[in-house]
Amino acid sequence: MTYSLRRVYAIFQKDLKDVLKNMFITTSLPVPLVFALIASRDPNPPVEAHFMFINLVLVMITAFLQSAIIAEEKEKNTLRGLMLSPATTLEILNGKSLLTFVFTIVTIMVGAAISGYEPANLWLVAVAFLFSIFFYLALGTLIGLYTKSMMEASVLLMPILLVFGFGTMHRAFIEEYAFLSFTEYFPNIQLLELAENVQTGAGIADVWPALTIILAWSIVMFLLVIIVFKRREIDE
Amino acid sequence: MDSIITVSSLVKVFANQKALEDVNFNVGHGEIFGFLGPSGSGKTTTIKILTGQLHPTDGKAEVFGVPTSALNSPYYRKKFGVLTDNSGLYERLSIFDNLKLYCDLYDVPVRRIDEALDMVNLKAEQKKIVSKLSKGMLQRVLLARTLLHEPDLLFLDEPTAALDPANSQHIHEGLRQLNAKGTTIFLTTHDMQEAEDLCDRVALLNKGRVQLLDQPKALRRQFSDATVTVELRDGRAIILSTGPEAAETMHTHMVNNEVAAIYTNEPTLGDIFVEVTGRELI
Ligand SMILES: Nc1ncnc2c1ncn2[C@@H]1O[C@H](COP(=O)(O)OP(=O)(O)OP(=O)(O)O)[C@@H](O)[C@H]1O
Ligand SMILES: [Mg+2]
Repeated sequence: MTYSLRRVYAIFQKDLKDVLKNMFITTSLPVPLVFALIASRDPNPPVEAHFMFINLVLVMITAFLQSAIIAEEKEKNTLRGLMLSPATTLEILNGKSLLTFVFTIVTIMVGAAISGYEPANLWLVAVAFLFSIFFYLALGTLIGLYTKSMMEASVLLMPILLVFGFGTMHRAFIEEYAFLSFTEYFPNIQLLELAENVQTGAGIADVWPALTIILAWSIVMFLLVIIVFKRREIDE
Repeated sequence: MDSIITVSSLVKVFANQKALEDVNFNVGHGEIFGFLGPSGSGKTTTIKILTGQLHPTDGKAEVFGVPTSALNSPYYRKKFGVLTDNSGLYERLSIFDNLKLYCDLYDVPVRRIDEALDMVNLKAEQKKIVSKLSKGMLQRVLLARTLLHEPDLLFLDEPTAALDPANSQHIHEGLRQLNAKGTTIFLTTHDMQEAEDLCDRVALLNKGRVQLLDQPKALRRQFSDATVTVELRDGRAIILSTGPEAAETMHTHMVNNEVAAIYTNEPTLGDIFVEVTGRELI
């Protein structure tokens, strides 16, 4: 098995140029930042106010951008050329993931600067973000592999936005309907609660269960990607 | 001449139909090999099998001496190039940026972009955005992309289908030069003139099998009835075969200065095709 960083970077560069010229994507990228602005109007916003924009970044950028740039390769018949080149599928997906990752990190940092989010324990929150980003990256990859066009991918994203995008709204539902309490274990809720606990002084000893749950979601999603992938290596 | 492509008893069955029944042929190193056949006869399917995009149902398909299933390593990927009939380009990027990606993927220097674009007559337009290109220009960019890494073996699926005659000829010239430098070319086309001009040998695929395989010239001779048509100045046309009697007639007309033109009745490749396949090629 050969792996070439040069080819990964080539895909990354190409996708960067392409995404910056894609109106549909460039206009949807700043949307989460609007919510960061809203949070910034409160002089002392609660953690969940910051997570309005952070959840949106994870769904609208991490998952959506990733799915869109994969689906579009199929829509425009450009994937075949890549697959016939020396680039392996892993390299292709890694190049795209790198781009999505960079966009995610940059938007979260810009958003946090706008909304004034300062985690009490930066490293702990960073690790939780990292695990979460892996989950949404894998989710986006899965959607990208399943759909055939960018539009299809964005339609599929709607229910995901409802489930994972608006983390804090769940709580109201859980209080009302007890049978929904399993949603407590969703990665977005776990991430939010972890961040809230960290802000009130919790350390790794307190939040490791949440970290483990988020990591478990990422691993399951990642395995799903690999399974789908193996099945689709040759298209007939 | 040893073979760069070996195909024997190749079968490909799709869910509901048999595309290839029993296909046999070899392509030698350095050949320009024409793969002809009616629409739907399985030319593209064969290219997909030979480039590892489809698995054969049965039989042998080897390229570079290895089974096509082994072609997915970067080592072999760098040795061949494919122009398929449904490849796409990145529409929002320039011609240059499209080719730059492939330079990086194939590990070739960026100066190859100029050389490849020169071959398809697009060197001056490399800054143009792909979405603004005509169909023929797109086709030429794709061809340039396929040539960037100067592969040992080139698969071209109808490379000049969307092109005007001047551009076709320019590309033929480029392909000949590439071939002279050692690239083996496997080409499908519906343009019989192209096949005749360019190919060392042609195969005719029909009803799941290779029905004819030879040099274009040899095929024409094989199907020729060895007659000539002599057109006389008074407008009459006579058909002569060989033999003393025909020679006599010809002699007389020539001595009397009555001959306007002489045509050979050798069939064209197109004629042979229609005769063998029993239908007009599209
Ligand atoms: N993926 C597929 N699934 C099912 N059938 C297919 C598939 N690809 C090709 N076929 C069938 O196999 C046959 C051969 O198709 P192919 O595309 O190889 O023909 P072709 O010789 O390239 O035709 P053309 O000259 O029109 O390009 C056709 O009947 C086609 O419908
Ligand atoms: Mg075809």
